Amino acid sequence: MSDVLRMGYVHARVTDLARAKDHYANTLGLYPTLEEDGKLYFKGWDEWDHHSVVLEEGGVGAVKFGFKVMDTAGLERIEKKAQTFGDCTVTRMSAGENREVGDGIRVQLDCIGHTFEFYTDMTAVGLEVGTHNPDAFPRHLVGIGAPMLDHALLIGEDIDTAARFFMEVTDFYTTERAQTDLSDEAQTIAYWLSSMQKVHDIALLRGENGKLHHFAFQMRDWNDILHAADLFAMDDVPIDVGPTRHGITRGETIYFFDPAGNRNETFAGGYTSYRDRPTIIWTADQLAKGIFYHARELKESFTSVYT
Amino acid sequence: MPRLTVADSDVEVLLKPGETILGGLHRAGYAARTGCLRGGCGVCKVEVTQGSVTYAETVAETVLTSEERTSGICLICRAVPQEDTVIAPRPEFKLRCVAPFLAALARK
Repeated sequence: MSDVLRMGYVHARVTDLARAKDHYANTLGLYPTLEEDGKLYFKGWDEWDHHSVVLEEGGVGAVKFGFKVMDTAGLERIEKKAQTFGDCTVTRMSAGENREVGDGIRVQLDCIGHTFEFYTDMTAVGLEVGTHNPDAFPRHLVGIGAPMLDHALLIGEDIDTAARFFMEVTDFYTTERAQTDLSDEAQTIAYWLSSMQKVHDIALLRGENGKLHHFAFQMRDWNDILHAADLFAMDDVPIDVGPTRHGITRGETIYFFDPAGNRNETFAGGYTSYRDRPTIIWTADQLAKGIFYHARELKESFTSVYT
Repeated sequence: MPRLTVADSDVEVLLKPGETILGGLHRAGYAARTGCLRGGCGVCKVEVTQGSVTYAETVAETVLTSEERTSGICLICRAVPQEDTVIAPRPEFKLRCVAPFLAALARK
């Protein structure tokens, strides 16, 4: 089993902190938990840790991604395996290097140009509905009221090595894979990887190193996705694609852009995955259906716009 | 009102105060290749061959470098012409008329 519980945080760059705050707090309905030193911290209503999104002013794209690990023993296992793995730089990080985050390790995967942090402790803030006889959701949600962070899709050149890292070092497993064809020489175009039972915690797409395709928030259902699309229209949020369904993961989705141009997603549905579930394979000739199940046609911006 | 002209085409749009190049093109019934529409991806870069543009929003240096700005490259989703402006799009700009009735109105 994986020691990783979930993707705990995304740390991204934005060009204008005030505009970003308006988008993430008022349109997405995340709860601002801290504003300090040119950084904004947010959590969703159904999250209990201090933050799941960190936004830093200056530039666009991803800074790093945090994965929460079950316990110290798990963190030690990951550290040892990462050192043995070799194709990455492993350093220790101390409590306080990231606000409200405890000790951990930082892994730079040069093969895709992305940085990941593994930690066991983050200051607990609590679920917005509490833990004692809670209601189903907070009564006065703002905007789309995104409950929690779900996953991210990262772009890099050598996603095969990166996927091997997540499988060998953090014990993720591949729920779905897109590949050129079904031959023995097939090249993998993208991996969807899970640590527990989500359909994906991280996905990797072949392309330019260090680029972010999107990070996604988990919504409850298709109704909430459609409601979100209406609110995006009201708030003049540029929608890239959707609302539609993915063939890949079966998820229901909207892709849209934050005020800096980083792509966000609202994601619902999908299926409960298991470690022994057969890996789903998508071939290049059916990739359009895999990505946009209804339209079955790729959209140029979706496959060429990254930050 | 600044006049926006697309080189090698019959597209001319009288822009409203503060209107972006893309905003003017859309209003005149034209579409072009765009990305995030937020100045973050750089997909909608074109060359300004005449005139000048400014930006009401911050555009990251990693998206549009100072050299590009100096050499007249702009992001049409964010660039606001300050005077009569001519853009010379590359073929991948994919300018096309999506609403002929709007184009006819804009020409009046």
